[in-house]
Amino acid sequence: MRRARKVMAACAVTLALGGCQTMLAAAYDPTIATALSTANSDIQALFVSIGTDAPVSTFGARKPAYDHIIAELDAVLIEIKARPIPNPEVLAKVNQALEAVHVGGITVDPDFSSYPSARSVADMVKVLTQMENADQQAGLHKELIPGFEQPVITYLTQAITYENFLKR
Amino acid sequence: MAALDPGALVAQIEAAMTAKVGQDVTALEGFASEQLNQIAQEAATIAAGALDGSITGDNQTFLLGNLAEETRSFVNTLAGLAVVSAEEVWNAAVGVIWAAINKATGLALTVP
Repeated sequence: MRRARKVMAACAVTLALGGCQTMLAAAYDPTIATALSTANSDIQALFVSIGTDAPVSTFGARKPAYDHIIAELDAVLIEIKARPIPNPEVLAKVNQALEAVHVGGITVDPDFSSYPSARSVADMVKVLTQMENADQQAGLHKELIPGFEQPVITYLTQAITYENFLKR
Repeated sequence: MAALDPGALVAQIEAAMTAKVGQDVTALEGFASEQLNQIAQEAATIAAGALDGSITGDNQTFLLGNLAEETRSFVNTLAGLAVVSAEEVWNAAVGVIWAAINKATGLALTVP
């Protein structure tokens, strides 16, 4: 009976507060999801062209791919950040609650982003830029190739997973 | 017009929330496991590259710093996924409550 009264009280409070369905994260945007999927295909094609060894003499053939991929990632980054964040005050409280249950340190991370996919895409651009510079200087050889490829895949997975998760 | 049974309502709310949490926990566990494996593999690659001389100098410095950022970005993403999950769980509960109220009152209230 006590539990039933608590449920009724909770219902009353919910009604009093509006009992609203709410959005705590940005809305799903199919154009962003599509843009990331396209970038993924282009990135995979670049690494296929690099293969297990990329001599510096052939960098010129790869440069257009670098330029294209970085440009399309910069474009999708703007689209990601252009979406409004619903209920920023509520979001701040949710983030504090997450930290309290040991999803720790997120609110003290100076680069913490309410758009996690934006952070992943920006990080991906940095890696690809460093990779292009290294390729231009001396080509890409041995462990340096997976050294760059693996973080790109990691960031791509973060961004695509988050954006697809917004489809709710 | 039917009476609202609080006990049954609690069970319905719990079922809706558990179902949503269950789906999301599976998805989040899969994501976290994959990410941690990728980050660990990256650490091994950098170490191998340091040994064979293919990852040195500026590239080594950059990739080591990036490894730390990968981990922070992973946590940021996981937190973001958890926020979306919390939203879905909350909305599932609100939906069940509203349906129960409508059934009990005979009204057709929409969830605001």
